[in-house]
Amino acid sequence: MKIPRLTTLAPVAVLVVLALFPVIGIPLSWLNYLFFFFIYLALANMWNLLAGYTGLICLCPAAFVGLAGYTLAIGTQVGVPFQVGLIAGAAVAALFALLISYPVFRMKGIYFAIGTLILPQALKGLFSYWRPVGNEYQGMGAGYSVIGSAGFTLMDKYWLALAIAAAAIFLVYIIIRARLGLGLTAIRDNENTAASSGVNIFRLKLSIFIIAAFIMGLAGAAYFIYSPRINPVGGFSIRWLIMPLMATVIGGEGIEEGPIMGAAVVTFLTFLLADYGAWSLLIQGIILVAVVVGMPQGIAGMLRQVGAYRFPQKLLQAAEAKIHKN
Amino acid sequence: MEDFLLELAPPLIKGILLGGLYVVIALGLSLVFGVMKLINVGHGDLVILGSYFAWAIMGWLGIDPFLSLVMGVPLFFVLGFFVQKFIINRTLRISLDAALIACFGISIIVQSLCQAIWTPFNRTLLTDYRLLNFAVGTVSIPFRYLLDFIGGLAVMIALREFLRRTYLGKAISAASQNEPVAERMGINPNRVYSFAFAIAMACAAVAGVLQGLTFSFNPTSGPPFLIISFGVIILGGLGSMAGTFIGGMIFGLTQTLGAHLSGSMMVQTIAPYLLVFVVLAVRPQGIFGR
Repeated sequence: MKIPRLTTLAPVAVLVVLALFPVIGIPLSWLNYLFFFFIYLALANMWNLLAGYTGLICLCPAAFVGLAGYTLAIGTQVGVPFQVGLIAGAAVAALFALLISYPVFRMKGIYFAIGTLILPQALKGLFSYWRPVGNEYQGMGAGYSVIGSAGFTLMDKYWLALAIAAAAIFLVYIIIRARLGLGLTAIRDNENTAASSGVNIFRLKLSIFIIAAFIMGLAGAAYFIYSPRINPVGGFSIRWLIMPLMATVIGGEGIEEGPIMGAAVVTFLTFLLADYGAWSLLIQGIILVAVVVGMPQGIAGMLRQVGAYRFPQKLLQAAEAKIHKN
Repeated sequence: MEDFLLELAPPLIKGILLGGLYVVIALGLSLVFGVMKLINVGHGDLVILGSYFAWAIMGWLGIDPFLSLVMGVPLFFVLGFFVQKFIINRTLRISLDAALIACFGISIIVQSLCQAIWTPFNRTLLTDYRLLNFAVGTVSIPFRYLLDFIGGLAVMIALREFLRRTYLGKAISAASQNEPVAERMGINPNRVYSFAFAIAMACAAVAGVLQGLTFSFNPTSGPPFLIISFGVIILGGLGSMAGTFIGGMIFGLTQTLGAHLSGSMMVQTIAPYLLVFVVLAVRPQGIFGR
């Protein structure tokens, strides 16, 4: 029998252990922390794909998250099961990405950043006054509840988030090793050279934008299944941009393991400082600025630079050599 | 027809006057954009910080918000100088994207600082003259809109004279026109950047007072001002004072006329964003741009 390589085996083992967590009786608070970690991880991975690998500083994750959340919530209001709403939400986010792709890709660099920053604000304004279904205002803003997900326990939500995060990591793994990833890094490094070398810039950017929007929408919809109430302020909150951006930059932009480390740091800080209200975000902001100024390659880049991976890699190789000796 | 025109007069006048506020905010933003090619994503939040500063001074010493600028402007100037020197200049050396993310970090810091100190509730700068009206013919217009216009005009003229007549101002103009040549003429770009950011912050302090008198504000009301003032710069073209002024009027008018003609709050909120987005997509170099 052929034994699979340890480098492929190790992530699978981690995934299995994480998937078994709810069954073996981990405290519920831990499941909550990990749920947020997975959602931020999925968002950060996609943001890394856009900003780190393609050079698109996209400031509109909140638009994708909010649209997916609203699709889910409105869908459940008219009787669509929430499982369908989850996929529909992600699909609407992807469709939105397709719709805005032509205007936003005309903008370059800093113009692209501001152009995408406008979208969540405009959508927030739209959804504050527009109420497609249901009766008139219920309290502040046009909020909706996600109904019909009562039977979906915390365990199920945990598994859903884990699946989305794993899919996001796997997707980035595949993309950056494929032709697509090569084209993307070429665009990031020099768009004109990439174009003259035969890279179809618009199509590549569009495909990556749609993929990222779909996964971000999925993560957003999963969050609104977890916390089943959406309003314009929460749905299109700047938090959906802050978290992935911070996780990616602190962990290491354009590095595969960066968002994973960054998301862990951000989730840890968020829950550690949860009692301090706004001061928590203040401290995270200071850390973000400190990282950009002092350690622009992030934690993962730092670790690579000092050669922290060399020892574990050696161990792994030695173990592999022993297993595959025969 | 006559009735229609008469009804149109208040939003027209209000829109033009409101433009002054957007001009003050946009001038600070465009100064930084001009020299560094960087959009300070935190500019809107700095304006709100200015509003809160005036509000706090008003509550503490009981003085008029405009008088509080005597403290606010120098304080913001010094703060801006050091923010640029220690944060943004360092990140600019790495890349423009890093500087953009640093600005975003500053935006987060300022927003959560306001929230931590002054709670997330809505505030206004309540003065005796805030609710006064003045009459143009038969039309009554809130006095605070006139203050916006006067403020906008004053800051614009002051900035223009500064850029034309002083050494530092000329250095800033030179650096924003052609940096490599400016550097060869003995201008230190980092120093120019620091002063440009400091002046932008001082503008933000003034804009904060005007903003606080015009609208109510909370810690998260910064980003809309950033977007609108960015739209003003794009529409008006970089480095064109008259263009900036016209851009400000157009955005003021979009907001007031949009609300008047459609009669809905939704249009008032979304119309400026749509305008910025469309202008960005169609003509990113601006209508009055060089």
